Amino acid sequence: MLLREKQRDALAELINIAFARTAASLSELSGHRVLLDAPGADVLAIDELPAFLGNFIKEDVVSVHQIFSGPVAGDALLMLNYEGAVTLTDLLCEYPAHARKPDASAREALTEVGNILLNACLGVFGNLLHVHVSFSMPRLHLESLDRLLRSITVGAEELRYAVVVSTSFSIKESSVTGYLAIVLGVSSLDRLLRAIETWEESQNG
Amino acid sequence: MAKILIVDDSGMARRILRRILESAGHDVIEAEDGMVAVERYFLDKPKIVFLDLIMKGISGLEVLQKIREMDERARVVVATADIQKSTRAMTEQAGAIGFVTKPYNEKDLIAAVESVLKEQ
Repeated sequence: MLLREKQRDALAELINIAFARTAASLSELSGHRVLLDAPGADVLAIDELPAFLGNFIKEDVVSVHQIFSGPVAGDALLMLNYEGAVTLTDLLCEYPAHARKPDASAREALTEVGNILLNACLGVFGNLLHVHVSFSMPRLHLESLDRLLRSITVGAEELRYAVVVSTSFSIKESSVTGYLAIVLGVSSLDRLLRAIETWEESQNG
Repeated sequence: MAKILIVDDSGMARRILRRILESAGHDVIEAEDGMVAVERYFLDKPKIVFLDLIMKGISGLEVLQKIREMDERARVVVATADIQKSTRAMTEQAGAIGFVTKPYNEKDLIAAVESVLKEQ
């Protein structure tokens, strides 16, 4: 989807602010300094998402999924490959798991971390854009990318787009790359872009 | 020292909060869902409740309303990952006397407890 330059700049700035908050949250959780690469943002049609994410996620994906509702409604997903999920769990849990698949304690930690990071990011959107969103319970999924994406598109009646934010962060010399996707129907995306434009205009006086 | 009820469906979140509160000398009890929280409040009469908002079963906001119906002087501090100002305003309107966001900052959390206890 083509965004106007002004919209793209405003979206990038909003994401920078949101991810600074997200990185601060991760730093407080892990007790270590978090170095964040500049996040990149793309707006894609939902059917372009598998090819886009497939470059990064070759096997199953570990995701934390939260549905949000309100004037802007959709699905928020934090996605990590297994390697990234295990690294993150090792850094956050008292007893490193090092397991091939996350155990109950690692799953609990990843769900809570996903909840905090998704809320940190979308909460900044809500605060700056003056749009209130309500969140569902976070759910952890371990499945193939195709299956995950099918689960968020089943029953969707309108064309859906994804605002995909890609970033990598380093904690204590470990590098974790994660993707955050906000999947919206076309009407919600339109409302989001309008709110972003209004915010951008207010920032410029 | 005060008796404090933690209500959160995440075991990790409860463990973190328990560690902080116990290190400050408080007596902690836990509930992992809203129904248990209402029951524990009725039975244990804690001085402060730390309440998560998004939980399975009844939501934190409903729990807040039920506890306030039972005891209009109940001291409930909302403890959530939701950082939206509008969420804070909504919980204040429902009678919460504090709002702390995850991940917890130990100093802010202890300060919130002390402030609530001073007001009692």
